[in-house]
Amino acid sequence: MNTAFPFPLSGRSVPFSLGRLGIVAGNTFLEAVRQKLFNFLLLLAVALVASAQLFREFNFGSSELKFISDFGFGAMVFFGSTLTIAATAQLFFSEIENRTALTILAKPIWRTEFIFGKFLGVFAVVGVFCALTTILLLGLLYHRETALMTANPEAFEAGRIIHYGDLVLMGVLQWLKFGVLAAFTLLIASFSNTNLYTVVMGFFVLVICHLQYLARDAYGSVASLPLRLLVQLLGYIFPNFQVFNLADQIGIGVGIDAAVFLRVAGYALIYIAVIGALAVYSFRNREI
Amino acid sequence: MTPNTPASAIEITGLTKDFSLNLRGVKLRAVENLTLTVPQGEVFGLLGPNGSGKSTTIKIILGLLEPTVGECKVFGVPSGRVDSRLNVGYLPEAPYFYRYLSGEELVRFYARICGVPKKVLKDRVREVIDWVGLTGASHRRVGTYSKGMLQRIGLAQALVHDPRLIILDEPTAGVDPVGSAEISELILKLKKQGKTVLITSHLLAQIEDICDRVAILDKGKLIVEGAVNDLVGLRDRQSLIVDSLPPAELDELRGWLAARGHVLNAVEQPRTRLDQLFLSKVSRPKKEGDSQ
Ligand SMILES: Nc1ncnc2c1ncn2[C@@H]1O[C@H](COP(=O)(O)OP(=O)(O)OP(=O)(O)O)[C@@H](O)[C@H]1O
Ligand SMILES: [Mg+2]
Repeated sequence: MNTAFPFPLSGRSVPFSLGRLGIVAGNTFLEAVRQKLFNFLLLLAVALVASAQLFREFNFGSSELKFISDFGFGAMVFFGSTLTIAATAQLFFSEIENRTALTILAKPIWRTEFIFGKFLGVFAVVGVFCALTTILLLGLLYHRETALMTANPEAFEAGRIIHYGDLVLMGVLQWLKFGVLAAFTLLIASFSNTNLYTVVMGFFVLVICHLQYLARDAYGSVASLPLRLLVQLLGYIFPNFQVFNLADQIGIGVGIDAAVFLRVAGYALIYIAVIGALAVYSFRNREI
Repeated sequence: MTPNTPASAIEITGLTKDFSLNLRGVKLRAVENLTLTVPQGEVFGLLGPNGSGKSTTIKIILGLLEPTVGECKVFGVPSGRVDSRLNVGYLPEAPYFYRYLSGEELVRFYARICGVPKKVLKDRVREVIDWVGLTGASHRRVGTYSKGMLQRIGLAQALVHDPRLIILDEPTAGVDPVGSAEISELILKLKKQGKTVLITSHLLAQIEDICDRVAILDKGKLIVEGAVNDLVGLRDRQSLIVDSLPPAELDELRGWLAARGHVLNAVEQPRTRLDQLFLSKVSRPKKEGDSQ
């Protein structure tokens, strides 16, 4: 061994390190890239564009544009949720099943760094997906709007009607929402034994998060007390994904209020932090 | 070494580990009341049949498992703590690594996790890969490695941060005799530098050659522990090896010994060991050219 190579490692305490967290995140992202997860993303994006093209013939003016934008975000939410749950479970369990977790956790690394590193890696993957689909959608809308403007200029007397900035904000909000979903999936993965169980439970959480407001509206006042309490409890534990749909008229009509945007973003970040912390707590006691 | 460094690298006291097998509370005792001390600077062999609790003990030393009862300290630091792993390198049994990384990327990844300084990172990674004889394959994806090559790259990542304690769980499983002899050499080299090595293996001949001390576990219990020389040396016997002794002279020798009250216990045809034959016939790969 090279004797001129002693590290000043001994006798140090090991502080929490964002650097190590970043290394784990980078490796997780790299796994997604090299294991061809992104090919799947590309396929989704192409499918999205292709299916949106089918609705070209409607030619309803502004309502066609709204349709494309709704359709685009609908597809983004659907495919994005699927991707988030599947990628989180896969990227976590590949470490457990291949027993690479054994090697890395035998290094001087905090399990907090490991879990949040995994989270950030997944969050970056989903971020790429959101950016990709948002850009595609914007391109599509712009293209269509230009075509419609030349076809019937009188409908566009006041210029373009789409608020492209708002669409970007919507994309960011979807990304944050997927972040909450990824944190939840990671929490489930931290104590569950199989990939499949994690994915199934992840979808279960997704459904609850999307539909709990319906339950609250439906049962909030009329149902029996225990049911009402249950619904309220669910409302406290699970985030309401409905708040991420800021406007019914996505990108068209009224714009997104900056204050509301920040409030919703904060809502997501707090959920990510709390659920992430729970995941760390449960993973700390896991036997590898 | 600082003066307050404890004398032993690993100190296990009264360790018991139960695994719960199901929710009804059925338990499996993998390690039972184990007390063991691994002194610094020695090569320590942990032996035992399959399922005797060797790997479980190692995982507890590394803080991957919580002991049910008892405690374990690494250089005086309780093994649940993150800083107990600062000076430890670990090669798991049947290792399997991120298959989408190349060998070099893999070792670099672990080196960065361990905080190897940036300015020496590249050289250090190359150096350890060279030691384990994988330089020629360092740019290939780990997913394409053979079993023995995985063991070697695992050894490289265990050594990359220059740890003082190296824990090797069956480092020679699946490695060919040449590679296995090289690993032995490497372990002895590490010992010369003052490192402590804890090794498990089912190749007892190899263990006997390189270990200072051994402990044998059976069904989770420690049954033998001690210095190898004390355990296997037969102090009251000697063997002579003579080239082509004619039978007549052998009888003469027997008589000569008998006259002095000694008994010639056995006359055997010494054979070369199969591993030595293998080593002499098989070309040792040059380090660079290993596995193409
Ligand atoms: N996670 C676990 N859950 C339940 N039982 C376990 C677990 N890990 C190990 N065991 C059991 O503990 C016992 C000891 O296992 P261990 O892996 O430590 O043996 P070993 O001495 O390393 O054997 P080998 O020589 O085959 O590697 C075995 O009976 C094994 O089945
Ligand atoms: Mg074992």
